[in-house]
Amino acid sequence: MLCMLLKNTENNMNKKIINPEEATNIVKNSIVKRRSKDSRLKLFGRAAIGLAVCFLLFLFYSIFTKGYPGFFQYYVTLDINFDRERIDPKGDLSDNSLFDGDASAIVNESLFSIIEPKGRKEKKLAKKIVSSGKDVRIAKMVKDDPGLFGTVTQVKFALDDDIDSFLRGYIKRETPESERRINDKVIGFIDKLNEEGRISYEFSDYILSGSASGNPEMAGIKGAFIGSLLTLSVCLLIAFPLGVATAVYLEEIAKKNRITEIIEVNINNLAAVPSVVFGIMGLAIFISIFGMPRSIPLVGGMVLALMTLPTIIISSRAAIRAVPPSVRDAAYGIGASKLQVIFHHVIPLAMPGMLTGTIIGMAQALGETAPLLMIGMVAFIVDIPNSVVDPGTVLPVQIFMWADFAERMFIQKTSAAIIVLLGFLIAMNALAVYLRKKLERRW
Amino acid sequence: MNSKKNDLKSLELTVGDVFSKNARLKARNVNVFYGENKAIDNVTIDIGNKEVISFIGPSGCGKSTFLRCFNRMNDTIDSCVIQGEISIDDENIYDKKIDVVPLRARIGMVFQKPNPFPKSIYDNVAYGPRIHGLSENKEHLDNIVEESLKRAGLWQEVSDRLSSPGTGLSGGQQQRLCIARAIAVSPEVILMDEPCSALDPIATAKIEELIHELGNEYSIVIVTHSMQQAARVSKRTAYFHLGKLIEVGKTKEIFTRPKHNQTEAYISGKIG
Repeated sequence: MLCMLLKNTENNMNKKIINPEEATNIVKNSIVKRRSKDSRLKLFGRAAIGLAVCFLLFLFYSIFTKGYPGFFQYYVTLDINFDRERIDPKGDLSDNSLFDGDASAIVNESLFSIIEPKGRKEKKLAKKIVSSGKDVRIAKMVKDDPGLFGTVTQVKFALDDDIDSFLRGYIKRETPESERRINDKVIGFIDKLNEEGRISYEFSDYILSGSASGNPEMAGIKGAFIGSLLTLSVCLLIAFPLGVATAVYLEEIAKKNRITEIIEVNINNLAAVPSVVFGIMGLAIFISIFGMPRSIPLVGGMVLALMTLPTIIISSRAAIRAVPPSVRDAAYGIGASKLQVIFHHVIPLAMPGMLTGTIIGMAQALGETAPLLMIGMVAFIVDIPNSVVDPGTVLPVQIFMWADFAERMFIQKTSAAIIVLLGFLIAMNALAVYLRKKLERRW
Repeated sequence: MNSKKNDLKSLELTVGDVFSKNARLKARNVNVFYGENKAIDNVTIDIGNKEVISFIGPSGCGKSTFLRCFNRMNDTIDSCVIQGEISIDDENIYDKKIDVVPLRARIGMVFQKPNPFPKSIYDNVAYGPRIHGLSENKEHLDNIVEESLKRAGLWQEVSDRLSSPGTGLSGGQQQRLCIARAIAVSPEVILMDEPCSALDPIATAKIEELIHELGNEYSIVIVTHSMQQAARVSKRTAYFHLGKLIEVGKTKEIFTRPKHNQTEAYISGKIG
């Protein structure tokens, strides 16, 4: 065996460089095979991209077709007699006075005058047609424009979610009455309203300005949207400076030794830790040890900052490493101190790369649910948070909660919320691209 | 005892006149290590006031490494260890008390590859005076920039576009911009590390002419691959080989009557 091997090498050694003509022939003969390999690679590449685009289009199609109706809902138009005595008994437009008022009854009377229910039972059913937020709506209207008092004005009220589902055709007339969520009497009322031209399908004024609600027709995402915004702001304010500072220290200042090596390995490991672990850590440290309140965007942002830090550090280090050493040499060469080299040259040149990493981290944080569940941002919170210490929730958690609810209408609202989340993400990425383009100096 | 013996050996090895009457920079028994590797072996040399001296030698002979010892640019390399003594005006620059920032303001440097900052031409030149606080006001700074660009022979070409990026200039212009940037902090010595190796012959000629003029005001140490260049710009020449300083002498003598046989081999093209 060894002998053969030796012989083989000997043979090879004896072979000289082949003459040019022969070489040309060999190259010519192999070219067809090589070309076909090239084109096959191209084909595979295109097929892969085509497949990815197909999936993406399908995803967008399904989300938009499902979510688009979520931005709309059915309304009923009623003539409301704005009687000040009944709506605002104390006459001072205070919340107290409006609460004592009888706005719901006025709405119901107006409704009854159209559909004419007979008896207590029918009236009880009829009352449920209009969403329970009717008195709040009237209170808001008179607060905005007290001139309405004494007039009879047409006002649009959201219909109850079951009625909405019926009008959308999710609840079918043909289904036996016993298996339907609304009975024949109610269907009769709706038909009457329809005949009168009172029912309209319009852009929902709850979805973008409302907050979490048990009534799906009144549920909106503003609370979650603001919560997301606050949480991400906290996350960015903590993670970006910390991440950049860490990266600068590790790349520019720290000596390369065992300790920095260990730190480096651990940062890379942290990037792979499941996000829910960060949630548990946040729960243990921020809430249990420091006694911070649950469900607040401040704690949420801090937990997400811990989660995004490794991403920011790793990409910032890569960006810093990509700064040409000649620039550092030039700055050191004319006597710039370390700090001056870092702040005048390294950071500005690395900024576009750092921002890219930060935006990727932020996008991750925006879509994160698990760690926030751990620190209680999953609570049912109706009030829209005004600051980072007000309880709140975030978009993905809101989606998670809505997807869990039984009412049919929440399905559309969930899809609508997903569209808003995607929109948020795209806006963030667009901002990142814009910032990159602006900061990137191609000199 | 042993070190003394080494000293003598080194002096024996280096042929020619390593000492200078009005020395500005003095290097004494300098050894440089990269980790285990000895890059510079016991080099002793003086660099005179307002003298243009060129370091020549084959690739990897340590001439650039030695040059970078003078403004402590080797500090940025972790594994680099320097022994011996280098002094400017009899002040040891490797003394613990010496701060490297003012040192580098005194000893400017021009690099092999033109490396202007990705900033405007004006900001490139103004950067040094700004960080060292050399200008009293905006007008003064303008004057420094103008004067530096004039000395670097670049003013006429760029005076109408000072705010355009320095990296948009041609290679030769960029290198002269780098020279202007070095001049702007009023150094005493300018170190040039193969300043023309990335340039075409016309740009090279301009830089050489510039070095010639600047030689009247600054001490200039230039590392070069080109013997012709050394012959054209410098009055003194030092020949390095494998980390050792082989021969130092008047440029004319080195190129016409080298004393050491290695120098002769190099300049006649047998090694290198």
